[in-house]
Amino acid sequence: METFVIGLSIGSILFMVALGLAIIYGTMKVINLAHGEMVMIGAYTTVLATKHLGFNLYLCIPLAFLVTAAFGYVIERTVVQRLYGRLLDTLLATWGIALILQQLIRIHFGLALFGIHIDGLGSDLQNVPVPSELQQAFHFLGANIPVYRAFIFVMALVLGAVSWWLIFKTRFGSQLRAVSVARNTAAACGINDKRVNTLAFAYGSGLAGIAGVLVSGFKTVSPDMGTPYVVDAFLVVVAGGVGHLMGTLLSAGILGEVQSFVATWLNDVYGRTVLFTVVILILLFKPQGLFVTKSR
Amino acid sequence: MTYRSASLVAYVAFFVLLMVLPFFLNSFWTNRMATYLVYSICALGIAMSWGYAGILSLGQGLFFGMGAYMLAMSLTLADPGNNPVPELMLLNMEPDAVRDLCCVTTGSFLWIPFRWVTVGILAGIVVPCILAALIGYVMFKRRTTGVYVSIITLAFALIGQLLIINNQPLTGGFNGLASLAALEIAGFEFDPYGPSVYYLVMFTLLVVMLLARYLLSGRVGQVLKAIREDEARARYLGYDVENYKLFIFCVSAGVAGLAGMLFTVTSEFAAPSLMATSFSISMVIWAATGGRASLLGACIGALIVNFIGSLASESATFQPVWPIILGALFVFVVLVMPNGIAGLFKDFFDRRSASANDGHAVPATAEGS
Repeated sequence: METFVIGLSIGSILFMVALGLAIIYGTMKVINLAHGEMVMIGAYTTVLATKHLGFNLYLCIPLAFLVTAAFGYVIERTVVQRLYGRLLDTLLATWGIALILQQLIRIHFGLALFGIHIDGLGSDLQNVPVPSELQQAFHFLGANIPVYRAFIFVMALVLGAVSWWLIFKTRFGSQLRAVSVARNTAAACGINDKRVNTLAFAYGSGLAGIAGVLVSGFKTVSPDMGTPYVVDAFLVVVAGGVGHLMGTLLSAGILGEVQSFVATWLNDVYGRTVLFTVVILILLFKPQGLFVTKSR
Repeated sequence: MTYRSASLVAYVAFFVLLMVLPFFLNSFWTNRMATYLVYSICALGIAMSWGYAGILSLGQGLFFGMGAYMLAMSLTLADPGNNPVPELMLLNMEPDAVRDLCCVTTGSFLWIPFRWVTVGILAGIVVPCILAALIGYVMFKRRTTGVYVSIITLAFALIGQLLIINNQPLTGGFNGLASLAALEIAGFEFDPYGPSVYYLVMFTLLVVMLLARYLLSGRVGQVLKAIREDEARARYLGYDVENYKLFIFCVSAGVAGLAGMLFTVTSEFAAPSLMATSFSISMVIWAATGGRASLLGACIGALIVNFIGSLASESATFQPVWPIILGALFVFVVLVMPNGIAGLFKDFFDRRSASANDGHAVPATAEGS
């Protein structure tokens, strides 16, 4: 049961990161390798806000969303927008952006060159204080469950629900879906497809930022923490079926559980090995992903 | 001067320059340049599969690392301090284990054939090829294409790296293999800091380049380009798309393995970091900077990026900024010059011949030189 809960929280984090990536990849067919850096920036926003502004973890969630969404907005406007339709090139360009963002954190946004150091930045590891009510544990079905892991799970569900509402119940969502199915037709019908793309990119980045806040509560924060997330999250997206919200949710859950159970049974390394193997098998035998959206 | 003759001049000039370079370098820079030429070989392999066939492998580091490990195992055993059993195994063995390669740690018998350096050298090419053949067979037979190939190869490289780190008693784990003897062939010892290794690497690059030119300028190269442009059409024209892709993927892996071996010779270690995602992507960037569809361009790209990188890391001011410059370079190359340096070179000649023809149709120059 404990293993199941750990798997659930791994899966929840994966889901939050993957959800943003799925929206970005699904809408504009862009592989955003800087997505992991959005997790990292979310985590650093938490570090800085708790250190310098006296924010607690809850307040950091909307703040990190705004900060990373702003980063996403700028990245989309300056680079990604010029690369539509060049899938493999977006992969390279966003990897470049990822390198830049990591190094900016390491050198305190360049201030370190002038001898100015900001507490909370740099290459060292950082920790974030977690509110005491989240540090407790409760009993459920005979298992000892940390409140924090449950909190992550609830947040993932909430974000999933919000995203579902946004995509399927709002005007913006229907524009988004229109653009992802047929960009030119949508544009011809008067939808500003560039604006939709930029907002979708910003929203996806913001989700990763929230994931970053939650990750910072149980893992140390460092400039290169984001890279594993983007790889895992991308695997989740393609395994679940591109452009399929439910597929992303389920595949994040499944992959999180697989990793958790194998990790407990053997060790962490095998956990990840099996995770990758499962994804490769899924891709080889169901290249469309586990759940295929019926669309043209 | 036409584009064709100009590129021939470029090839000759490049190798003549490389030939005389060691006379002007001290031993440290000879070694560095040899390492960069190793990276060039790697970029060459990527240009072959990515530039010609459109297969972007992000797991090239896996093959590079495999090559490096194969030779490193042989060179470990060639070191007198590591006989009869490598030190790393002594550190990890059970207290009562027999001190022999057959059974000192689990799986250590796998090392036995590597007592002969020839086996190590052969395995450095053959093992990556076989691995690529297996991966490629499943991928291409299932008609996996484009970005899925990139992701699958990336995942394989991650698995490889994790397995090597995890099997410490067999592979040296995180630290890799570092106590290596110098490579000795027929009684001649190659000195990593002398010109001998430099020329070994350079002539390997020359041979690989010539073979690749020979291979790709012929029928195979044309079919691969056709596949890159439109896979379905190539298939309907009767070409066995899967086997062509499998073939070039394996060749590219073999080249990467060869480069990995030479890396072990110049740098005297093999470590799991060679299989890291970031390293695999760096290789792609070298090829992209130089020109993905150009063999010479990819080599020059690898040299330039690494050379500037090492200059930057020498200076205290530039060292922290270098990753930012590198990142900006990726973005710049992708946005502004998608065909890299070689693309600029070709554009220049295209424009010249266009103005020479004064508005007449531009003759189609052979791509990928």
